[in-house]
Amino acid sequence: MTARSATSAPSVPRHLPANKDLWVFVLGDFVIFGSYFVIFMVSRHQERGLFIESQRHLSLNIGVVNTLVLLASSWLVARAVQLTRAGEFERARTMIVGGGLCGLVFMVIKAYEWSAKIAQGHTFPSNNFFMYYYMLTGVHLFHVAIGLVFLGVSYFELRHRRRVGSVETGATYWHMVDLLWVVIFALLYVMR
Amino acid sequence: MTAAVRTTAVWAGLSAITVVSWFLAPAHHAQPVAASTPITLGVLALAVIKTRLIIQEFMEVRTAPLWLRLATDGWLVALFGAIVVSYVW
Amino acid sequence: MTVAPVWTAPAWTRKPKIDQWIAWWTIPVFYNIFGLIFVVLTRVMPPPRPDITQTQIVQFFVDHSLTIRIGFALLMFFIGFASVANGLIALQMKRMSVSPVFAYAYIGALVVGGLPGCLIPAFAFVAAALRPDRDPQIMVMLYDWCLLSFVGSLGCFCTQNMVLALAIFLDRNDVLPKWLAYMSIWMIVTELLASPVFVFRSGPLAWNGSISFYLGTVVFVVWEFCMIRLLYTAIEKQSPNEQIQD
Repeated sequence: MTARSATSAPSVPRHLPANKDLWVFVLGDFVIFGSYFVIFMVSRHQERGLFIESQRHLSLNIGVVNTLVLLASSWLVARAVQLTRAGEFERARTMIVGGGLCGLVFMVIKAYEWSAKIAQGHTFPSNNFFMYYYMLTGVHLFHVAIGLVFLGVSYFELRHRRRVGSVETGATYWHMVDLLWVVIFALLYVMR
Repeated sequence: MTAAVRTTAVWAGLSAITVVSWFLAPAHHAQPVAASTPITLGVLALAVIKTRLIIQEFMEVRTAPLWLRLATDGWLVALFGAIVVSYVW
Repeated sequence: MTVAPVWTAPAWTRKPKIDQWIAWWTIPVFYNIFGLIFVVLTRVMPPPRPDITQTQIVQFFVDHSLTIRIGFALLMFFIGFASVANGLIALQMKRMSVSPVFAYAYIGALVVGGLPGCLIPAFAFVAAALRPDRDPQIMVMLYDWCLLSFVGSLGCFCTQNMVLALAIFLDRNDVLPKWLAYMSIWMIVTELLASPVFVFRSGPLAWNGSISFYLGTVVFVVWEFCMIRLLYTAIEKQSPNEQIQD
């Protein structure tokens, strides 16, 4: 560690991942999804008993597995960014593929979970809790699909141009998708 | 600690917190459960920790310009504040 | 003997890109009139509730019969302005480095979308307002028809936003900024969330719902503001001699 003057604090070099356009997207998506969450909470407040009762029909195990799958995918994608910076493009591409595969696994598990719920008689219009369940997980699933497109673009950029910015773009968006699921998991599956 | 080790540690922490949530969830219990403010506040606290970790570490906002740090933290405060308020109202 | 002066066109017609400026001006004019028609006169925005009784629906048409008919009569003329706006946006899309396929798709999507999005709702409401003493069942049907069509017709607008976003992302000429493409993705999400209006008659996913209607409208208004501003800048920056692909 080099000696530093007592009067100046070490300044961390500030770096904006990806670019401002993407952050407009991410922050805006945060606000839009945030509105969905608040509307959900207001509805929940009006029908607390119903929501708690209905919540028991969700498979907690599937919820936990899905959360772990997405967290793993985020880790893989974060590693991909670091490997790209280190110039290890081959390994970075592998990480992205891994993250994308986890995303696919998430979607398959989600499809299975939905079909199981529908088979049990819990459909979209069953009651308000399940309306929100399908709506929130459905919109989220759409974001996962978009995320896979972003990761695909990052993968191809790594093959041909090897720019860190492109990988950061896909990664940042993917982490947002992961983050939104963490909130959905807490609100739908865990809190009471 | 290298960036790789740090990222992996964050992932391990996030996964551990998720497993803890399993024990707190209602579906875990055989008999019907009642609403519980302390447990819910605990769950929301864990959610805030997880989301902030993802933002600061995975999304690398920790080393990002001030406006982004303020915007993301501001969003977390507004969102979870609104959730808590609507829960305890 | 004097020679009569040759008539020359006024100077303003020779202003560079005057054709595009005229097209641009139709947009703010259209949206102000759109607001007057849909909000003040015809009461379609915000939509009246799906979960009211037959009697209340009939009463709605009795109360607003005149303004509904005047409002939508105005729409019949001004709806054409939307075509001019879309022509302008399509032209700007042709300036991009991608092939004009997206510009053509954009126009096509909105031509289709204008029908269920504006005109069919208009005719349903006008028919109801013309003779409010009809069989109440028919009045309810016309009410549903208008509002389901107005809020629930989303596929065309999803397509519109998809091709716009794709064109902007692939464009190397930076005609429109990338963040508009991202906003177009928000539009797709909020439009997809209008599809549940066919399932729910109350709550946030009904045609008057906080999610299916209000959130979507807010996102749309922001997007439209940005689009109007960005088109202005794009026309300004455009060189008058620029060759645009066929």
